[in-house]
Amino acid sequence: MPPSREALVNRGDEDEVCPVCKSSRYLNPDMRFLINPECYHKMCESCVDRIFSGGPANCPVAGCHKTLRKNRFRKQTFEDIHVEREVDIRRRVMTVLNRREEEFDSKLDWDNFLEQREEIIFNLVNRIDVAKTEADLQSYASENMRSIRANQALEAKEVSSFQERQNHEQELARLRRQAAKEEYENERKELLAGRENYLNNLAQGRAGDAAAIAQKVMLKKSSARRSEEERIRQKQAALRGTDAQKPAYPGAVTAEEGGSGLIKGLKKIKTPEPEKPYDPFGGMVPNKRDYYTLRDHYPSSYLDPIRQDTRMLAGGYDLQEYYSRTMLEAFAGLGCFIDEEVPKRQASSFNVMKPVATQGAALAAGSGSGSI
Amino acid sequence: MIEDDFYRTSSQFRLWSFTEESLRTVRQKTNSLASDRVRIALRRAREARQSANSSAAGTPNPNGSDADSKAGEEKDIECLTSEEEQDLVRYYCEQIIQLGESYKPPMPSIVRATAIQYLRRFYLTNSPMTYHPKTIMPCALFIATKTDNYYMSLRQFADGVPGDTTAEDIIAPEFLVMQSLRFTFDVRHPFRGLEGGIMELNAISQGLGEPAPHLPNQSAEDLRRAILSLPPPLNTPSPPSISDRLARAHHNTREILKSAAQMTDAYFLYTPSQIWLSALSLADAPLAQFYLDTKLPNPTESEHPLAQLRAKLLQTLSSCATLLQSYKPLGSDPEQKKAMRRIGKKLYHCQNPEKVNLAGQKRIPAAAAAAIASAAGNPSDTPTPDSEMERLAKKRKLEAEQQKAGNDIFGGDLVMERTRDRQA
Repeated sequence: MPPSREALVNRGDEDEVCPVCKSSRYLNPDMRFLINPECYHKMCESCVDRIFSGGPANCPVAGCHKTLRKNRFRKQTFEDIHVEREVDIRRRVMTVLNRREEEFDSKLDWDNFLEQREEIIFNLVNRIDVAKTEADLQSYASENMRSIRANQALEAKEVSSFQERQNHEQELARLRRQAAKEEYENERKELLAGRENYLNNLAQGRAGDAAAIAQKVMLKKSSARRSEEERIRQKQAALRGTDAQKPAYPGAVTAEEGGSGLIKGLKKIKTPEPEKPYDPFGGMVPNKRDYYTLRDHYPSSYLDPIRQDTRMLAGGYDLQEYYSRTMLEAFAGLGCFIDEEVPKRQASSFNVMKPVATQGAALAAGSGSGSI
Repeated sequence: MIEDDFYRTSSQFRLWSFTEESLRTVRQKTNSLASDRVRIALRRAREARQSANSSAAGTPNPNGSDADSKAGEEKDIECLTSEEEQDLVRYYCEQIIQLGESYKPPMPSIVRATAIQYLRRFYLTNSPMTYHPKTIMPCALFIATKTDNYYMSLRQFADGVPGDTTAEDIIAPEFLVMQSLRFTFDVRHPFRGLEGGIMELNAISQGLGEPAPHLPNQSAEDLRRAILSLPPPLNTPSPPSISDRLARAHHNTREILKSAAQMTDAYFLYTPSQIWLSALSLADAPLAQFYLDTKLPNPTESEHPLAQLRAKLLQTLSSCATLLQSYKPLGSDPEQKKAMRRIGKKLYHCQNPEKVNLAGQKRIPAAAAAAIASAAGNPSDTPTPDSEMERLAKKRKLEAEQQKAGNDIFGGDLVMERTRDRQA
């Protein structure tokens, strides 16, 4: 808080009196008033020390029977005690009802939630249905403890990342300023050195060379400036480049469980299906057959000698392959009825070849007749 | 059934399977287009001849008489019908078998079968009137030796081809054929399936049968007893032993697959396993029935999907068997031979004169070939290459014209435009 404002506040309360010990600021300029958010009764620091040092005690203001603790006493932020109280209530409700927009199904639901939250705050501030509202809030807080905490963490992270970004930007700005300053210094130094050099040259050279020397110095200067500008531009580009890669925005976490009926329109939490073990055959059983069961060996006077023939087997020939292939081909397509399936196929998938083929032929015929 | 899904991914099923009806429409379309083009080409050739004659004589014909003669001659051009084309292609399929036989050692029947299928596929979208099968046939066989991994050098191959066919002649239509095959060289034959079936039947007969996945309570012993107690096939003396019976069935089925299955439209209309099972049922009906029963249960309620599959399958197998049975070899039938001679004569008159000399034609330049290949890589695109070439030429011409017009910012000459308008 800026000191001027505090001074203003203190000056206005010259004759303020502690309601408990009746000592006035006039007599004790160092007096500080404290409040407790339980009842918002104001009292001076010495009274707080005196009454609550020995543990919790009742509020000394007449008619107020709230039990207060010393550690809850704090300085008043706002002049108006009602504003102070509303801000406190708001802060408390906000920490509990800290849902985020991305947790809601639609914009309408989010708006409804905001309105509901305002209503709760309003009720608490104006003491309407306090018991019920408090109970609701309590039950909601206990039920959604985890999501509340998650959202709090998220918020803290956001704040810190925002802070970080700002710091980073400030740092960059500082660097830029520094670089610019350096440039300026360098340029000035160069200018001075150049001028000195120029004068020296003129002093040492002959009279006829004056024009040539002036020309040379000019050239040198302009080329130096050009290289200098180039360097600056590169530096700035580099700075901008680091600027571009900002820290990533923390991703939203939406993992909520159930919740009481207090908030409507929350997104349903989709628990991802547990991944099944990878099936390379896509549900097909390898070597499954519907017409036959393959044997390891089929008796055959023609094939049996091969089983012993090293000349055949050395190259990796496998009779099993032959068995499975012949058996598969014996039955592959037995249940395909072309007269039924082909018309169906042609009806469903865009007639396959005929029209195009005949079209091509027709085109050729047309071109033939055209060229007569 | 998972095996069926394997087959459904094959190019044979995706691109080369047809219903009877669609097969007929495709052929008729090809035929009508080809005959139109043949008529146009013949007329063009005649005009060129006439103009050459007239310029030589130096007397320009009056227009009227020219049109008259054109109309009169046009009636003469009688094109092949779709059925005649089919007969012709079948004749050349038999020629492939003969040609494959003539090599030393003879080519494996699977290579020949692949070549036959290539030829048949080629003539689905091309007509014999456009490309004579005489030139396409050796090329198809040569491609088949390559795709079926039966290596043979081109010179060696050309030496075996009768007549004075050079190596150049054989590979001249190679790209054309490959393009018409839509670059799908995989032909699923029923031969290997037959081997598998016979192999398993053998195992069953020796008491080594495995229960089928849908019939888990079969036992090897039951299966063996069942196969031993099968009634003998019709019209054959009961063979002494089950292994002899299986060997005979194997041999007969293979013969059917080598001939009837190749010469009919079976490959287009049925799947390889249906083909070999129906061929087996022609060779040994009780055996085929038994084998089917071991694979597909016969549930009593007809709503069961397996029962429906079974009913459909039996129907398909019987129609396939009928188709296979309908085949009569050309050599044994003088009637057909006579018809073939007639068709040959007819083809001589309606051959497209512009496509006769394939080897003499300019080879497709590499860039254009690549463009065509990329266009044909698209599965829904099978332009016949000659049409493609003409189209490209036309496109180039158009572009050149456009460029000429485009050079002048304000368009062509106004006076030209006006005169054109007046003429119109």
